[in-house]
Amino acid sequence: MKDTENQPVKLKGVGDSLHVAIDPTQSIDTLRQSLSRTFERLKHLAINAKVIIDPGEDADCDGLIDELGQFLKDTFAVGMVSKPQPRKRSDNQERIREQDIGNEWHHYRSEALIIAGRVRSGLNIRAKNHLVILGDLNPGAEVYAGGDILVMGSLLGKAAAGQPDNETAIVMALEFKPTQIQIGGLVAAGITESGASRPEFAYVENNEIVVDDYVKGNPFRQLGWPEVR
Amino acid sequence: MDGKVIVVTSGKGGVGKTTVTAAIGAAMAMQGKRVAVVDMDIGLRNLDVVMGLENRIVFNIVDVIQGKCKIKQAAVKDRRIDNLFLIPASQSHEKNVIRPENMIWLAGKLRKEFDFTFLDCPAGIEQGFKNSIAAADEAIVVCTPEVSSVRDADRVIGLLYARSIKPRLIINRIVPKMVENGDMLSHEDVLDVLSVDLLGLVVMDDKVVVSTNTGTPLVMQKDSAAGSAFQRIGLRLDGHPDLPIENPMGQKGFWKKLGAKFSRKN
Repeated sequence: MKDTENQPVKLKGVGDSLHVAIDPTQSIDTLRQSLSRTFERLKHLAINAKVIIDPGEDADCDGLIDELGQFLKDTFAVGMVSKPQPRKRSDNQERIREQDIGNEWHHYRSEALIIAGRVRSGLNIRAKNHLVILGDLNPGAEVYAGGDILVMGSLLGKAAAGQPDNETAIVMALEFKPTQIQIGGLVAAGITESGASRPEFAYVENNEIVVDDYVKGNPFRQLGWPEVR
Repeated sequence: MDGKVIVVTSGKGGVGKTTVTAAIGAAMAMQGKRVAVVDMDIGLRNLDVVMGLENRIVFNIVDVIQGKCKIKQAAVKDRRIDNLFLIPASQSHEKNVIRPENMIWLAGKLRKEFDFTFLDCPAGIEQGFKNSIAAADEAIVVCTPEVSSVRDADRVIGLLYARSIKPRLIINRIVPKMVENGDMLSHEDVLDVLSVDLLGLVVMDDKVVVSTNTGTPLVMQKDSAAGSAFQRIGLRLDGHPDLPIENPMGQKGFWKKLGAKFSRKN
């Protein structure tokens, strides 16, 4: 597992283009350096590629995007650089949201398995979809879920989320000290050194399981509208 | 009034189940109760050696269950302590000669004869464990402050809860100095993971080795820290459930904290 804190540039492939999320609060030199590091790894894949530079929601950074775009064109011979298109909501999505707001989400049935108590060594729990444990998960205990696993307590055992192949699932715990984490088909061994006990969560990024502070890196904070998960 | 049958178990081997059984049995017999200790480790008996009674065994638990003798004939009376009896295991059979239903029958008889019966459960969670917990009214789980022991105790506690037996915990072989240096789990750490009622804390004591090798009851040894801990556990099991549990870290922790406070001021 690796830590993602203070990573000014994040790259992922979207369709036929490269989506680069940047942190506009960093200085342009830092961003250039991180971009260089990221794009050097791509080698020939960068040549003539379409690149979208995304400074996040709040920023008005056309100047910065132009400057970084020019830098990428000059250094790595990328094709086109643009800023992200404002997303258009589909009619379908709009209809769902109207329905949600009208019915106060009453038309959804919960698919989560919620368990209170301590899950002890030797116990196995399998949930079809999401699993919430109001208690601790001891070393030697194993839990499997088709969706997310949320532990409102200490996670000391093994947690496998998104089984068998859902890599968008997360594993979250108030005290995150697992023996092993699985998300989809990926496996990561737990960290043995005891850090500060704070809420953390594991998710998949670039085919790797990453652990991040939940309060700082809350992945759902960016969602503009409460979605059913 | 019927007596109680209490199983002493741990999951992991070598944590002191047999020592604990012998010591608590002796302590409670010295308090005037009629006590039987039963060796459930068929094929690998050693409670008789720990109690120094190996040369008096005529019949064993398998003989009782197979109807070859009465409980009174198999029960070996202790040399020093009145009211303390050992029902030894068979050394020549295997664990599956006894079934859980045999134990339920035997426990019914033992409850009539004795105030307290302690079953010394074998290590593991197989047949011997299943036999031992089948007839138990209560359970004592023994663990040492080691990660592996805590893991196994946790499993056993889960299995006991699954049978609706509420376990109580004895943490054995605590070395206060190592805990202080951070080289050993503290009893708070262990309780954090296991979260069950604590019955007693027992420190590491060289006298235990002397006692088990010579077959003299630990609770009869003077100045044995472990012995006095077992005496208090005996009292907690019978009539004094609220007897405070002494912190093995004892006064030292208090002085240390006080010292730290003063030094901060200066």
